[in-house]
Amino acid sequence: MVKKDTHILDLENQLKRALADYQNLEKRSVEQRKEWVKSANKDLLLRLLPVLDTLMLASQHVQDEGILASIKQFEDALKSEGVEKIETMGQEFNPQTMECVVTEQVDPSTGSGQEEGKVMEELQAGYRLHDKVLRPAKVKVGKKI
Amino acid sequence: MSKIIGIDLGTTNSAMAVMEGGSPKVIHSAEGRNVVPSVVDPISHVVGDVAKHQLVLKPKTTIYSIKRLMGRKYSDPSVQKDVKLLPYTIKSGRDGMAVVEVDGRTFTPQEISAQILQKIKADAEAYLGGKVTQAVITVPAYFDDSQRQATKQAGEIAGLEVLRIINEPTAAALAYGLDKKNAHTIAVYDLGGGTFDISILELGEGVYEVKSTSGDTHLGGDDFDQTIIEYLADEFKKEHNVDLRKDPQALQRLKEAAEKAKIELSSSQEAEINQPFITQGKEGPLHLTMKLTRAKLESLVDDLIQKTIKPVEAALKDAKAKVADIDEVVLVGGMTRMPKIVEVVTKFFGKEAHKGVNPDEVVAVGAAIQGGVLGGEVKDVLLLDVTPLTLGIETLGSVATPLISRNTTVPTAKSQVFSTAADNQTQVEINVLQGERPMASDNKSLGRFILDGIPPAPRGIPQVEVTFDIDASGILSVKAKDKATGKEQSIKITGSTGLSKEEVEKMTKEAEVHAQEDLDKKEKVEARNTADSLIFTAEKTTAEKTLKDAGDKVKEEDKKEVEEKVSALKSILDSGSKEDLETKTKELSDSLQKVGQAMYASQKTEGGGQKTEETTEGDSEEKKSDSAKATSDKDKPVEGEVVN
Repeated sequence: MVKKDTHILDLENQLKRALADYQNLEKRSVEQRKEWVKSANKDLLLRLLPVLDTLMLASQHVQDEGILASIKQFEDALKSEGVEKIETMGQEFNPQTMECVVTEQVDPSTGSGQEEGKVMEELQAGYRLHDKVLRPAKVKVGKKI
Repeated sequence: MSKIIGIDLGTTNSAMAVMEGGSPKVIHSAEGRNVVPSVVDPISHVVGDVAKHQLVLKPKTTIYSIKRLMGRKYSDPSVQKDVKLLPYTIKSGRDGMAVVEVDGRTFTPQEISAQILQKIKADAEAYLGGKVTQAVITVPAYFDDSQRQATKQAGEIAGLEVLRIINEPTAAALAYGLDKKNAHTIAVYDLGGGTFDISILELGEGVYEVKSTSGDTHLGGDDFDQTIIEYLADEFKKEHNVDLRKDPQALQRLKEAAEKAKIELSSSQEAEINQPFITQGKEGPLHLTMKLTRAKLESLVDDLIQKTIKPVEAALKDAKAKVADIDEVVLVGGMTRMPKIVEVVTKFFGKEAHKGVNPDEVVAVGAAIQGGVLGGEVKDVLLLDVTPLTLGIETLGSVATPLISRNTTVPTAKSQVFSTAADNQTQVEINVLQGERPMASDNKSLGRFILDGIPPAPRGIPQVEVTFDIDASGILSVKAKDKATGKEQSIKITGSTGLSKEEVEKMTKEAEVHAQEDLDKKEKVEARNTADSLIFTAEKTTAEKTLKDAGDKVKEEDKKEVEEKVSALKSILDSGSKEDLETKTKELSDSLQKVGQAMYASQKTEGGGQKTEETTEGDSEEKKSDSAKATSDKDKPVEGEVVN
């Protein structure tokens, strides 16, 4: 009898567990579906961004109105999909949205000391998609000697 | 009921998983990744990807690779080696244990690891929507008692009750279910981001015993990336005389390109590296455009791969085992995605390694399974089984028609409607088959029964519903029901999943080996079946009153032609090749269409028969319902098929 009782208990536990798992899964899939709608384009966007990076680099090397216009067009298209550029220049370094890939020494005894902890150069633009970081910006940050 | 999570607390990256609905599920971090970098800023409590972002800016206050210090004394030679490599301050703390110093505060490796575990706990709670208080954490097999104790403490600091500390290779073996196999000696080859481990395990009485371990604590994916970067930079320098390593922006893009190429070359033979405007040369912008072949990559990293072989040999020696003693090989760590590594390992052990579970997640998955076992969630009775082989019935021409395909999770049920293959056929025989081969005779017959009492009707008209039902314990019931009379017959087969592992493997292998000849055989039978059903239609068309209805619109010679072609096709029905059957079938079908057209014309004018449409209709239906085989007077009954 004891054996039977524990067996029943076991089964009851398993059933509860399965039901709980199922209900949680249901709740979560509702949440996930909302997320999906928002970030369905994420992977695609991440693959397109390098093209924009190249255009931006090109504009640094070649002064051409056409390239600038192309960048503008690209950025407008991204904007309409909810992609926003992360502001970096002169800002305080923020690891949530930026990745520091290199530092530059600044001397607090001179004027350049104000640059400490600030972004001195943006090496690769970062973007947000609907308030979530799509790709952090890669930046150069000032660091005191 | 709170869940027990499984945590792979790694040197470079950590991962987590949980049992859900009886199977392990990897939990993604808040950043949406399947791993959390094991990087911590202990002062500002920043962990993971975010902490990694500031690694360059704050090398003294951002701690990584803390696992290398876990439970070790400062005087430990391995710690002494790491002191030189790691940028943050490592000191001797209480009892001479290694601790780190950040901004004048000391932290034990346990406290740093606890911050990683806290993040994992928080992300898991967000995912599961409830408190998480219990965990199973993995450690390398070579961790001694003090290191295990330290890992356990880290869990406790993070607010987790550590139900068990298990070995990483054991977790990997669990993830592949090797504990249920008859594998005695298992080799686990783990090449991660920064460390390489090889472990030889022995399974006895359901417990894994670590026989030996070896490895290289400073060899991993990062070295592979670096090698590619150096090569690309060198090539670029040769061509343009510019060192990309000196330009931080260019170096950054080079790193990305190298990693992308490495990943691409795991699945393709050639990767294109295309980074226009990578830097400024004397005469204007320079572009990095190169092709890297898999062969080239393999030659570049060959030294690194070969470096893993010595430890493997050493581990075997320590375990007093020979290569032939190893029953199973398991690959762990992202780098084992590289085909060359798989090849080298396979060649060394002379057997295929287990793949399939994501190598970055496999340890966490195994830990979650262990958690499931401890929590009573994983029990053999609850473990949902799958059907190891396809189940189906035999249909016209000895073809095996599948109803439940292999690897379907049970309990499950499926029905399909079949019909008769001959006029006035009053019974069908259901031959229950198990196996992957398309022809019935090549599969295993699990049982057969006859459903009789079907009211006489033309072929294709009766509807026999066949239902397969497998319950949770693998018992298969097969039921056949005549929809017209409601008459049914059934059979219960207990041995449906009772095949031994060897039998299943043998049958699966045979199916692969014979795939082509089986396909040919099946196609021939199908050609025969198509021919057979067309003959049936043609005979009906020419014999029955439909033709009379069509009056003299159908020319006598057309009718004659059809009749000739019917007998020509009939004569080769059982002997002809697939091609002959198809040609003759086509000829008959063409002649039949002429008749049909004539009748259609007559119908238009006189409202007569509509044979053409019926012909095509009947034809396709026959194919669809590919029914139980006919035993018309002339046809000799084929074994295991429906009898009249």
